[in-house]
Amino acid sequence: MEGIQESYETIQYIVVKFGDEQYGIDIKYIDNIVRMQRITRVPNVPAYIKGVINLRGEVVPVVSLRLKMGLCEDEITKLTRIIIIKLDNGEVIGVLVDAVKEVVTLDTREIEKVSYDSGEDKTNFISGIGKDKGELISLFDLNLVFSEKEKAN
Amino acid sequence: MDVSQYLEIFLDETKEHLQNLSDQLMNLEQDPENMDTINEIFRAAHTLKGMAGTMGYKRMQNLTHDMENVFSEVRNNTLKADGNMIDLLFQCLDALEEYTENIQNTADEGTNDNEHLIKALNEFLAAKDGAVAPAAAKEEAKEPVKEEAAVTEGDASREKWRSIAFSDTENMVLTEAKKQGKNVFGLTVYVQETCILKAARAFLVYKALEELGETMISVPSAQDIEDEKFDFDFSIIFITDADLDKVKAAVMNVSEIDSCYIAPVELSEEKPQEVQASEEKTTETATAQTGVPAASAQTAAKTEKKAVSKPIVNRTVRVDIEKLDVLMNLVSELIIAKNSLVSAAQTEGITANSSVNEPIEYLESVTTNLHESVMKVRMVPIESVVQKFPKMIRDLSKKLDKKMQLFMSGEETELDRTVVDEIGDPLMHLLRNSADHGLESAEVRKERGKPEVGSIFLDAYQDGNNVVIEVRDDGNGIDVEAVKAKAVEKGKISQEQADLMSDKDAIDLLFQPSFSTAKKVTDVSGRGVGLDVVKSKIESLSGDVEVKTKLGEGSTFIIRLPLTLAIIQALMVEVGGEKYAISLGSIQTIEDIAPDEIKFVQNEEVINLRGDVIPLIRLNKVLDNQSTKGPDDNLIVAIVKKGDKLAGLVVDELMGQQEIVIKSLGKYINKSKVISGATILGDGEIALIIDANALL
Repeated sequence: MEGIQESYETIQYIVVKFGDEQYGIDIKYIDNIVRMQRITRVPNVPAYIKGVINLRGEVVPVVSLRLKMGLCEDEITKLTRIIIIKLDNGEVIGVLVDAVKEVVTLDTREIEKVSYDSGEDKTNFISGIGKDKGELISLFDLNLVFSEKEKAN
Repeated sequence: MDVSQYLEIFLDETKEHLQNLSDQLMNLEQDPENMDTINEIFRAAHTLKGMAGTMGYKRMQNLTHDMENVFSEVRNNTLKADGNMIDLLFQCLDALEEYTENIQNTADEGTNDNEHLIKALNEFLAAKDGAVAPAAAKEEAKEPVKEEAAVTEGDASREKWRSIAFSDTENMVLTEAKKQGKNVFGLTVYVQETCILKAARAFLVYKALEELGETMISVPSAQDIEDEKFDFDFSIIFITDADLDKVKAAVMNVSEIDSCYIAPVELSEEKPQEVQASEEKTTETATAQTGVPAASAQTAAKTEKKAVSKPIVNRTVRVDIEKLDVLMNLVSELIIAKNSLVSAAQTEGITANSSVNEPIEYLESVTTNLHESVMKVRMVPIESVVQKFPKMIRDLSKKLDKKMQLFMSGEETELDRTVVDEIGDPLMHLLRNSADHGLESAEVRKERGKPEVGSIFLDAYQDGNNVVIEVRDDGNGIDVEAVKAKAVEKGKISQEQADLMSDKDAIDLLFQPSFSTAKKVTDVSGRGVGLDVVKSKIESLSGDVEVKTKLGEGSTFIIRLPLTLAIIQALMVEVGGEKYAISLGSIQTIEDIAPDEIKFVQNEEVINLRGDVIPLIRLNKVLDNQSTKGPDDNLIVAIVKKGDKLAGLVVDELMGQQEIVIKSLGKYINKSKVISGATILGDGEIALIIDANALL
């Protein structure tokens, strides 16, 4: 972790990778990051729900953000991680990512809001684009990611 | 006085008394002459008044006070309980419930004075006897118990100990004591009516007296006093060396004691009391049988009445349900830990070594027992939920202008506390449905040759690992054609679909949201928000609802609920290389079936098992994976049962029986119907739990 800069104007994000793209997850939602482990398949659920894992005695569903965003199927490598997320409503969900890169601290001035008129599906989950050391990071709005399902039904 | 710390107790007890009042009023309606019932009502109203007064709820106190007045008259036979009066009393009850509700929500009784009720109550009193001014009536009611003693002299009426009758042995002991120069006193102690912990005060009085001498007789008995089963006074016959003033001072020294009437006991035969006592010989023997040493006619009547209407109070501890949840979770953890120990021992290959094996087996039996005990602690009878229904049906009867009666059985059936808390609303919906849609009007019933009064039954019983609650009525039954027509009209199904639809599927339509066949929307039901809510609620409790109906004869709604939610015995199976658990409670037998035994009925696979034709369900198809078995291999079939339906679940391998802890899959995984949850196995792996009921 980088030095914690306590300033209410900054937000810390964990940067994860899907292929070459970088995405940021607000650190306040992150409960834990665990290595890839055996996922128990659950029948008759949408393909993006990979199954459930045993996280210290609790049963936690694991979701593939790749499939949810319409990307191709996850490729499990040594770098694959499951990020355990705790949503505002208390729900605990694991998400599969290709790799975890680093933690960045972004100033709100370094975040650009995205406009929602783009027809593309995946922009629905993105709350903004962060700029860090000349690289772009798409920032997830996790509550959108996981509430979208209810809307679709 | 700060009473907030007593609020919870007050609410609990008030609810208890209100329920009692409601039950007794129902009884009274059936049997208006029953003195026991009338006394019980009077007592409940009186206690309520006292409690409300103590807590400073004036409006509640006023209302109960006036109710008490009316009952005082009924009890004295100067007023007859009729339909109007009972209706009014029920209204009062509703008002009291409203107060209680307000107090529960805001710690304040609200501002509704319910003057019309109080006025109506007073009208009854006025009608009874114009000459008696209301004030006088109030005065009378204020000391109702004391009145009852009905001794002619003024103060003597408060010296209740005088009415204590002595048995021969007691007489002997007392005479003996007198011979030895000891003083024998009779005393009646009045605790202040505002006293909250009257049992504690009484106890202090006893303690003070013990230091001076020996308590010979106590009315009510010491046990009853300890349990607060007395109004505000108790009487004692006391043997002591001390003199009268000293005894009196000792009693009055205890705080919150209102007054103490004390006098030496005279044991001469000529004493008028003795005549009274002999008159009461019969009642005395009756009380002797119930275990109370001696009592006056009044108290005798009281104890007898108690024996009839009140079950013996068990010693209980009130525990916050959350603490039990924590305990249950810990037990779950323990069982998971135990399971992993068992599986570790197996993989290490040390099961042959009995020095490890034995303690593990012991641990298993302990955890199983522990789980059962914790589960039992969490179980409460459904009585607490269903006891409000008789009154509800009575109200509905008036509202709908239909005659109906509710018969309940199995109120003592126990369910997990969380289930009991949730089951009330669905049951209420079903009962309202039966009352409104099910039962026909009296005229129609007459035409059909049915008794004019409709019957609704609520039966609860345990069936294996399930608890079944049936709501049955002898009304019209469900008109399947009307349901279909309505569904077509609403555009839910097409006419062709309707024509082909089985009765069962048609009835299932009723459980869909916003579906009501009632021709008119009534206050009671018919807005179409009933049955779908019932179904989803029951399903959220892992239960299910089934309907049986016969047009013209009535319908039955059968609710089936699991006995416990957290830990079950399960059969572990393998399907397509994956591990699954099936609740052992629903499994009847395991069968080995050769492929050529499979027959086809309507293109569905069935087997003929000892005369029963049982449909086969291939779990690998349901679970969407590949069976590891070849087509020529014998099938392993678990026969499951739901109600009277059977089905055979085809699995690949059996892994054995295991105690499993049910974990929810979480809200995010849109509950696939077949999977009711997951469990963590000894090696940390997750196995999903198959809900056999959902497959049938």
